[in-house]
Amino acid sequence: QVNQKLLNPCSQCCRQRACILLTRQFSSEANSEVKIAADSVNITNRCVERLKKITADEKGLFLRISVEGGGCSGFQYKFELDKNMTEEDVVIEKDGVKIITDTDSVEFLKNSTVDFTEELIRSSFQVVNNPNAEQGCSCGASFSLKL
Amino acid sequence: VTRRKPVPPRAALTLTPAAVQRIQSLVSQKPGTIGLKIGVKQRGCNGLSYTLDYVKERGKFDEVVEQDGVTVLMDKKAQLTLLGTEMDFKEDKLSSEFIFNNPNIIGVCGCGESFNVFTPEEKKKSGS
Repeated sequence: QVNQKLLNPCSQCCRQRACILLTRQFSSEANSEVKIAADSVNITNRCVERLKKITADEKGLFLRISVEGGGCSGFQYKFELDKNMTEEDVVIEKDGVKIITDTDSVEFLKNSTVDFTEELIRSSFQVVNNPNAEQGCSCGASFSLKL
Repeated sequence: VTRRKPVPPRAALTLTPAAVQRIQSLVSQKPGTIGLKIGVKQRGCNGLSYTLDYVKERGKFDEVVEQDGVTVLMDKKAQLTLLGTEMDFKEDKLSSEFIFNNPNIIGVCGCGESFNVFTPEEKKKSGS
């Protein structure tokens, strides 16, 4: 029942026990809540624009966001471009662009916002205002869970 | 007495062609700016992180690096930690960012944004 992908990184984490409990809770709730969760992830207009630009050259591409163990705060977001969808995936759609995430990751992304931030030094996709995350790394790539 | 051949001083910062191109396009979009200024800030999980700003005029103690027609200024506080750094620009579909290949670094954060440098005392100890 407990998802191994999410569990393994926790073995080094100081909150191991809490993480396991949380993962259990998530995986039992996951199936019933998928639809609600998918709706509650917001996408900013800047993110939509950027995704449109990317997918204009190559049709059928979408952004995949996954939450993995790692980074300096326990969990980190991973962004990649993908073409293949599996049965476990959850689709978040806005203005014709698709963002895909899996059923495990969507629990961590509930009510957060996906943005494309542009700064002088770097521009990249980011998950901002994540109410499930307590505090993160300065770069926003890594976060720890609110317990 | 024969004159010593003039040796050009080594630049404190080198730019890759990709970085030059990017800075050129950034500066041309902002009239009135002479270039970009690099600084460091106490932030992030590993101590320091880089900052980058447009700059309108040169500060009193800023180090000026000119290469291939672009100007990059180094903040006076950043000079010691940045000495010998290569500035690169990487762009792919998901992100675009300036990358600093800094030889003084002893540790970086997982995302590469924050870093750590030897303090002068530590340098003496390790003999480098």
